[in-house]
This record gives sequence, C-alpha cells and structure tokens, in this order.
Amino acid sequence: MQLDTQFMLTTFLHVLQGIPVTLTIVMVTLLVSAPLGFLMAVSKSGEGKIGRRIIAGYVSLIRGTPVVLQILFLYSLLPTALNYWIKEVLGLSYNIFTLNPIFYAYVVFILNTTAVLSEVFRSALSTVNKGQLEAALSIGMSAPQAYVRIIIPQALVSALPNLCNTTVNLLKSTSLAFMMTVKDITAIAKIDASFGYNYLEAYLVIFAVYIFLCSAVQGVFHLTERGAAAYKKPAVS
Amino acid sequence: MRPFHPQYILEALPQLILYLPVTAAIVIGTVFFGSLLGILLAAGRIRRGRVGRAFANLYIYVIRCVPSIVLLFLVYYGLPEFLNVFGVNINDAGKGFFVITTFSLLFSASMAEVFRSAYEAVDRGQREAAVSIGLTEFQAFYRIVLPQCVRVAIPNFTNALVNLMKEGSLAYTIGLIDIMGKGQLLIGQNHGSYSLEIYLALFFLYWGLTLMVEKGAGIWERHLTPTKQERGGVRKCN
Repeated sequence: MQLDTQFMLTTFLHVLQGIPVTLTIVMVTLLVSAPLGFLMAVSKSGEGKIGRRIIAGYVSLIRGTPVVLQILFLYSLLPTALNYWIKEVLGLSYNIFTLNPIFYAYVVFILNTTAVLSEVFRSALSTVNKGQLEAALSIGMSAPQAYVRIIIPQALVSALPNLCNTTVNLLKSTSLAFMMTVKDITAIAKIDASFGYNYLEAYLVIFAVYIFLCSAVQGVFHLTERGAAAYKKPAVS
Repeated sequence: MRPFHPQYILEALPQLILYLPVTAAIVIGTVFFGSLLGILLAAGRIRRGRVGRAFANLYIYVIRCVPSIVLLFLVYYGLPEFLNVFGVNINDAGKGFFVITTFSLLFSASMAEVFRSAYEAVDRGQREAAVSIGLTEFQAFYRIVLPQCVRVAIPNFTNALVNLMKEGSLAYTIGLIDIMGKGQLLIGQNHGSYSLEIYLALFFLYWGLTLMVEKGAGIWERHLTPTKQERGGVRKCN
C-alpha cells in the first residue's frame, strides 16, 4: 500500500479553502434554526392543537427520513419551482440558475436542524420549573423578558450538550452538500482526487480535517458549558 | 415547471418495495456485527484496564467526528489496499460487504454507549442479591441483570437503529442497490424525469419504516416493563 504524500499535502492545502464554506453553512443554519426551533418548542407546549399537530408531523417527517433524500428532493424541486415562480408568477427576468447553490444547502440544513433543535429546546425547557415563569410574570415581567432573563439562561445549561451533538451532526451532514454542487471540503477533495484516481488519499485528508473541525466545535462548546453553568456555582466573595 | 404525476408515486412504490429486503439485510448485518464490536468497546470502557479504555475512548471519539459518507468511501477504497498488504484479496467482495463493514464500524460506537449506559443503569445489588441466593455468576447475569439492561437499553438502541437505517441510504453512493439505489436507477431509466415522484415514494418508505421501528420498540419496552404502575406512569430508571 502506497500513499501519495505529495498529493495529500496539496489536497490538504486546497481543502483548507473549503473550511470557510463548511463553517458558513453550519453558522448560517444554526443562526436561523435556533430561533425557529425555539419558537416551535415554545408553541409545542402551548395550546393550539392544530399547530401542535403540524409541528409534530414536520418533526417526525424530518427525523424519520435520511438527509440525503431531503437533499436530493429539494435540490431537484427548488430550482425549477423557483424558476417557474419567478418567471411566470412574478414576471421577473431574474435567472435563478445563476444562484449560488449554497442557498439550497442553507434551505435543506435549516429545515433539518430546526426540527432537531425544536426537540432539543423542548426537552431543555421542560427541565425548568413552571413556577419560574409564573414567578417572573407575577413580578411584572413581560413574557419575552421572562424568557430571556429567567428561563433561557437556566434551560441553556441542560440544552448545551445536546446543542453540541446537533452541531457536530450538522457539521458531518454538510459533507453531503457536494451533491448540490457546493464547493465544501468534501467536494474540493473529490475534485482533486478525480484527476489521478487518488480517492483513498483524498478521503484520508477529509477524515483528518473533519476530526480537527469536530474537535474544535466540541472545544468551543466545552468552554461555553462552563460559562453557562457559572450561575450554579456559589458566588465568590 | 415540470409536470408532476402523483400516480407515478404509486407506480414506483411496488418496484422500490422489492428492494426492501436488501435494506433490511444491510441493517440486520450491521446490527449483528456492530453489536459484537460494540460489546468489546463497552467492555473496554467499563473494565479497569487503562489501554483498553483509552483505545475504546479514542475509537468512539474518532467515529463520532467522521461523516458516514467519508468513512464509507475510506473503507471502499482503502480496505482492499490495506488488506492487500497482508496478502488478503477482497477486490471481488460485493458492495454489501463494504457497506456492512462501514456501518458496523459506525454503529459499534453508538452501541458501545448503549451497552455501557444500560449496564451502569442496573444496580450492583441486583447481581449480588442473585449470587447470594445461590445463582451462579452466569445465571445471575442471564436471568437477573440482562433483562433489566435490555429494558433500559431499548430507547437508545431504537435511536441508533433509526439513525443506522437513515445513514444506510448512503450505500447507493458506492453502487449498492437497496431501496435508495433502486430509486436512483428508476430516475436514470426515465432520463431524470419523475425524480420528485420517486423521492416522495422513498420519503414514504423511510418515514414508514422509522415509525414502524419506533412503534415496535415502544411495544417491546412496555412488554418488558413488569408492573402496571410503571407501564402507565413515568419510568423509574435512572
């Protein structure tokens, strides 16, 4: 067995250019999904029966089907559907096929992560005693104030390990973005490999890069966890 | 906008269902080999031995960080070359072999955690009590500890199983023809048309499978829960 180390080095340097793309997908997805998932989690414990059913169905569908399938489906549906919508319904001349495919990646991963996060937040919110919300409201806070100042800081502590898991899983699923022609880590290495059929070396490089990225994510969450749990420690006088 | 024919979903479904046994075989094979490996890893983490524990921890950490598609291709391209060094030739092995190997490697990491947490959830006193009334070590494990472990493990195991089933759909990328692969073939045969209908059919299949597995696990768990109180109310395991 011989590995082309020269190839691995150049591919590694190429792949580094893909890291910002991967991280952008992860960040954008989390930033959009977190508030959406939170709203879903709150309204799940609310009254509206129909809304609750729809959310439960959505979460079940997303969590019950493979991400690849969601990617393939949306990537074959969205461009043509949007094209039709823009040209025929809105009457604009914008060419949707020039749109950066990363937007489709955002859509897929946001749909996916929102469903997962709504479950994460729901279980986190259920760890905070109901009395906390009632007490906050009774002293005259508005509901948003009560959530931001009282509920969320406490729920965050129990949500963080799951959030870390979700982020790691999201990071891993972004490796499928190459199916939507997004030039992320995996796509760059695959393109490099296809010139000389050096697939083994290319995948070893991706393997190492993902372990590095994943370790970084876990490190960040580890530090955040310590910060978020600070209020549980006795105050230093 | 391309035309959409809902009736094609119904036409595609029976053709896809024909390949359910392949998907099932991959899952069953993976559960078998992955669990064997998982038991070893869990033992490594539970036992005192430092080397075993360090290895198991490192393995689980690395597997947790690797996307399945990357591992799948690593195994597909790398394993034949790696084994060639030892004079073993597996270039003729079927695609299923590589798929089961990959997903066993992945599944074993989650199974190790399932086993470990289940083992630790059962109180030590149970084994001691069983041995003290004259059961042998094996009997105590088989009759007393194991059944309790199984019940605790079911929810986590179900989660791992559903994940495996979903990740297993990636097998088509190396050319295995399971339901996903057949779907891709059908789309190819139609020169790319009807793709939406076929993907929808696959959505129904996977969703149905997941719901069935979860339902079955729920029934199994209730079956193993001894008292009526526990069945209805909150489970009292830690």
